[in-house]
Amino acid sequence: MVRISRVMLKEAGNAIDKTLSEILVCPLSKQPLRVCEKTKSLVSDTIGVSFPIKDGIPCLVPKDGKILEEDGDASKAC
Amino acid sequence: MRRINSLYGRNGILKRVFEKPAKQSHAFLASRSFSTEGGYGGESQQNSSSSRVKIFDRELKRRDRAAWLSRNKNDTFVDAVAENLLDRLEDCKKSFPSALCLGGSLGPVKRLLRGRGGIEKLIMMDTSHDMIKSCRDAQDDNSIDTSYLVGDEEFLPIKESSVDLIISSLGLHWTNDLPGSMIQCKLALKPDGLFLAAILGGETLKELRIACTLAHMEREGGISPRLSPLAQVRDAGNLLTRAGFSLPGVDVDEYILNRETALATAAIYDSMFATEDGTIPATFQVIYMTGWKEHSSHPQAKRRGSATVSFTDIHKQFGGQS
Repeated sequence: MVRISRVMLKEAGNAIDKTLSEILVCPLSKQPLRVCEKTKSLVSDTIGVSFPIKDGIPCLVPKDGKILEEDGDASKAC
Repeated sequence: MRRINSLYGRNGILKRVFEKPAKQSHAFLASRSFSTEGGYGGESQQNSSSSRVKIFDRELKRRDRAAWLSRNKNDTFVDAVAENLLDRLEDCKKSFPSALCLGGSLGPVKRLLRGRGGIEKLIMMDTSHDMIKSCRDAQDDNSIDTSYLVGDEEFLPIKESSVDLIISSLGLHWTNDLPGSMIQCKLALKPDGLFLAAILGGETLKELRIACTLAHMEREGGISPRLSPLAQVRDAGNLLTRAGFSLPGVDVDEYILNRETALATAAIYDSMFATEDGTIPATFQVIYMTGWKEHSSHPQAKRRGSATVSFTDIHKQFGGQS
């Protein structure tokens, strides 16, 4: 039982679950976030900051966010 | 209580004691956390005009909390507070399908929830990634759909009107901007949503606070705060109202723990508060706050002048004898 749920967690590790994706917003601007599958991060386009998803847990503390450098780079990276 | 004068005869003991760091109390002794941005002492006088003085170093608390909580798996005090807080859910007729649990003591809240409040979706949030991970890996046997999230109460990453219940057990007292955090909580709640919080009150560790202050005055001729400043009970109600919660409720509980190993904290502590069996008491004041997001179903005061019966008549009818 425990093993099964562990495996499920692992699979779900990449994308965040539905409950969270419905309610999460950018902690600073309170605007919607975009999931970037490639870099496994949540991107707030309004302020140009990306927040990491570590082990399937989104980290939305402002200090964890990375400022996306150039507009061109940002669109390439995500 | 003995007279304070007697302290001066205790120089030898005081000296010895101050060389030993007090191990028990490190979780609450926040001397290092006062060091942010100009400090809390002299320089903060200039900063005090702006509301941006950072009393608590949130980064430090982040690491502290994970280390501290993972060591004490079952803390009776934290469990008692969580239990008391969750008990309030049984008083509500309403059920809360989606709930957000804020940091502080996540583990006990999750463990003691036991199906109360009709919660279907639970979101656990803490500022520490390690804490959230250990909470996720705990694998309690409950059927609630639980999601995990690292976030800061001061910057709540939750959409407006999206959850029915917010629980915070012993976490909010360490926020720099308590009113701001509570306003953000209120915004995140759906109409008629409940905010339920327990914070440590100003009476917490009063013995240590007094002992530290007196020792400082004696040794250094001045005082600097060694313990986290905490909200007073009278502030709690104001905070709830200021954040815009309707039907605010505040109550207070005091827990006195007897720590035998903390005897080394200070001779003053010993001389002023010690009990006969040699242990020393440590008071923890916990303030419980409840508030609801406004909703049309809440009781409202009637319009002025809408009464049809005068108080004199009521008095004549029911209490005429006096």
